[in-house]
Amino acid sequence: MAEIVAGIACSHVPFMASEENWDRLGEPERNNLRTGFQRARELLDESRPDVLITFADDHFDRCFYDNLPAFLIGVGEEVAGPAIAGFDLPQVRVPIAGELARFILREGLEGGVDFAFSEELALDHAEMAPMMHLTPRWDIPMVPIVVNAFAPPMPTLKRCFDVGGFVGACVRRWPHNMRVAFLGTGGLSHWVGPPETGKINEEFDRWFLDRLTGGRIQDITDRYARYEDLEAVAGNGGHEIRDWLAIAGAMPAWMQPRVLAYEPLKAWLTGTGIMTWSLQ
Amino acid sequence: MSRYQVDKLLRDIRRDNQLAARFRDDIEGVFANYKLDSEERDLLRRWEIRELYDRGVNPLLLLLAHGPAGKQMRDYGAAMNRMTVNRGG
Repeated sequence: MAEIVAGIACSHVPFMASEENWDRLGEPERNNLRTGFQRARELLDESRPDVLITFADDHFDRCFYDNLPAFLIGVGEEVAGPAIAGFDLPQVRVPIAGELARFILREGLEGGVDFAFSEELALDHAEMAPMMHLTPRWDIPMVPIVVNAFAPPMPTLKRCFDVGGFVGACVRRWPHNMRVAFLGTGGLSHWVGPPETGKINEEFDRWFLDRLTGGRIQDITDRYARYEDLEAVAGNGGHEIRDWLAIAGAMPAWMQPRVLAYEPLKAWLTGTGIMTWSLQ
Repeated sequence: MSRYQVDKLLRDIRRDNQLAARFRDDIEGVFANYKLDSEERDLLRRWEIRELYDRGVNPLLLLLAHGPAGKQMRDYGAAMNRMTVNRGG
């Protein structure tokens, strides 16, 4: 049977794709974040995953209001990126773990999660910017899942946690020997485009991380059941905590959550965190 | 106000460099392909991003389209907050 071997949740900021933007950070925050990514990468390397399942959102580069799924799973032969060039992102192609992707799709449709699916899904900076630091060889087959965390109305936080849980359960009943890691990217608090652009709510971010590591998911999903309430405290970019909640949902109870780094990065306009779930 | 049509135009000029160039040089020609009312056209012509935001246009799309619309990214915050930018000299 397939086995979940690691989980990582982290912020995605397009700036993290270029050294020039790392240099704009203060030395302590840069070192903290680099160390966090390094430790997360070591966890991934030591876990030797055969597949990486990602939960990430979009920035209107692959989905738009003309056709906008709540949850979209890539099922083609490969996934290429970036959907739109820029931010110093490399051109990459990553194979999709197609059998597992289609298994999750089919299990979902028969079990209560109506995924949309795509044969030609592209990667966005949401996956690519963190993966440049976590899987820089781009050699782990993926199951990419896109969550609508950018275009209201969106699936609730609770739904994202539950869908993550559903995907985790699918993996554990996948009847093949396979080591599976999860990556969820987005958030934490940030405002992208509105008058508050550049604001960070460090108090919210630390509250969220504390609740997540303590397993107090319902505190989060109850308090921010309406997306307007979350947007008021965490910004329109804060909706991306949906990707963290999906990972939290996918993780088995015996996996140990740990915050590796958090910095309210003014230079990157984003409350930026890294968290892992591991067997130790 | 058709928020969708404005959002769509912003998304399109972000994705299509040729369309963005037409938006800067022949904005009336670009308008012909979108169902925009006179108020929307006026706000887009004057690039009144705060007015568009207050009418429900997606702020991420406004930010992403700011450069393709021919504006300086460093002036985005001031424009969104209706502040006057004085670059001196």
